[in-house]
Amino acid sequence: MTWNRRTFLGTGAAVVAAPHVLAEGQGKPRVVVIGGGAGGATAARYIAKDSEGMIDVTLIEPTRTYFSCFFSNLYLGGFKAIDDIGHTYGALAAAHGINVVHDWAVDVDRAGRTVTLAGGGVLGYDKLILSPGIDFVDGAVEGWDISAQNRMPHAYKAGSQTELLKAQIAAMPEGGTYAMVAPPNPYRCPPGPYERISMVAHVLKASNPTAKIIVADPKPKFSKMALFEEGWANHYPGMIDWIGEEFGGGNVSVDPGAMTLTIDGDETAVDVCNVIPAMKAGRIAEIAGVTDGNWAPVNAADMSSKADPDVHVLGDASQQGDMPKSAFSANSQAKACANAVRGALTGSKVFSPRYSNTCWSLIAAGDGVKVGATYEATEEKIARVDGFISQPGESAELRQATYEESEGWYAGIIADMFG
Amino acid sequence: MRRAGFALTALATALAGSPVTGNEAPSLDPAILAIEGDAEWGAYLAGECLTCHRADGLAEGIPRITGWEPDDFVTAMHAYKQNWRTHPIMQMVAGRLSDEEIAALAAYFKDLE
Repeated sequence: MTWNRRTFLGTGAAVVAAPHVLAEGQGKPRVVVIGGGAGGATAARYIAKDSEGMIDVTLIEPTRTYFSCFFSNLYLGGFKAIDDIGHTYGALAAAHGINVVHDWAVDVDRAGRTVTLAGGGVLGYDKLILSPGIDFVDGAVEGWDISAQNRMPHAYKAGSQTELLKAQIAAMPEGGTYAMVAPPNPYRCPPGPYERISMVAHVLKASNPTAKIIVADPKPKFSKMALFEEGWANHYPGMIDWIGEEFGGGNVSVDPGAMTLTIDGDETAVDVCNVIPAMKAGRIAEIAGVTDGNWAPVNAADMSSKADPDVHVLGDASQQGDMPKSAFSANSQAKACANAVRGALTGSKVFSPRYSNTCWSLIAAGDGVKVGATYEATEEKIARVDGFISQPGESAELRQATYEESEGWYAGIIADMFG
Repeated sequence: MRRAGFALTALATALAGSPVTGNEAPSLDPAILAIEGDAEWGAYLAGECLTCHRADGLAEGIPRITGWEPDDFVTAMHAYKQNWRTHPIMQMVAGRLSDEEIAALAAYFKDLE
């Protein structure tokens, strides 16, 4: 061993003292995690696994089966079955001793350090981790609310909504119109809406080749735009009409009863209308009082809330800086958070956080692309360090390899969350 | 120098068939291979790897990284760090790992089966 303590901890290591180490006999420290997605499941698993029984971990997640939003577009495109993207929590309970509670968290008392469940139970905590994902901003799309989601599905929380949207696409009349109302920034999975358009086009090209796709988008540009536009021109020429901010794509209203979409004053009859409204942190973050506007600001070193050092917020719900709202990001943030929480509660070593992200997207069969970056914690935010993106004009072999890599990543992150 | 010679051989083997253009010949200071990795630190750092690579060693679409000989692991990571291996994600990830961090990861993954 030739390095000293400073280099061992790494440059800028967040050396956290252990103020919450509980005295012997006071009982195990308790961590409650709300939300069993890429952030919450990963955090619960890593804390339980690495603390080797020294910390009581409870994971609160209402659904028995988690349908991943990531890869749900591949289900729409026919590349996956719905069961391929459904995962259960049994191993977290059986192999890691996590107390998995299938219930809704409906209240957080930060002064008393308790979480109240819809079923009436109350759980005490020493550290609370919120990873509730997203909810939709009320009134974000004129004419649409949650009561309209059967007529005009969002399919941006995967599961029954995704199955509904797939069925609606299959039932489109010959030459019919699929419309998407795309969300404003920031939102979950930046390339997600455009991968979805690709997958819908892939299905329609085979089953309904005269069908049209309209995208009303409030943004002037979007993630991997050059790659998607190239792919759409190559694979689905003439099928997709993307209407960006410049052409009134942000000035939309819908009428779910009449099945019409109005873009900048022009009303169009549509057969499927996939409305993806503006997003905000999952409601429990707001109830816990850790949000500022739509999102929950956090410290970059350990994802702790700027409102409360004993509350951490992970993933889509957090406002952390430069990382995109993605499952990969949430999983990455969860590990830094788990390490810090375990250190605070048991005195274990706390290492410098290390954040990274990669997002893969499928444009057509075997045509995979990706974008990724590394990040570091600064005083101000999680800041981007370095990155890469697939290039237009890449060979078919490279695109195929990128797709196969995305399959490997999916298996990897699922094992890292639920294994 | 014997260690360095081994490393270069291993690197050449690892690179066989890879499209390498315009880079300087890879070099590894023997002191880099001599660094004793800290497996506990490696266990934390491994979190970044395990979003994609499987801890159980299964490999479909993404290579297995468990159970490697540390010299091979360190050599491969430095091949990415020096852009001799061409994968953009791995170049990015390895590019910011220090020599000590790579040694720590090698120490952790060698015992993971």
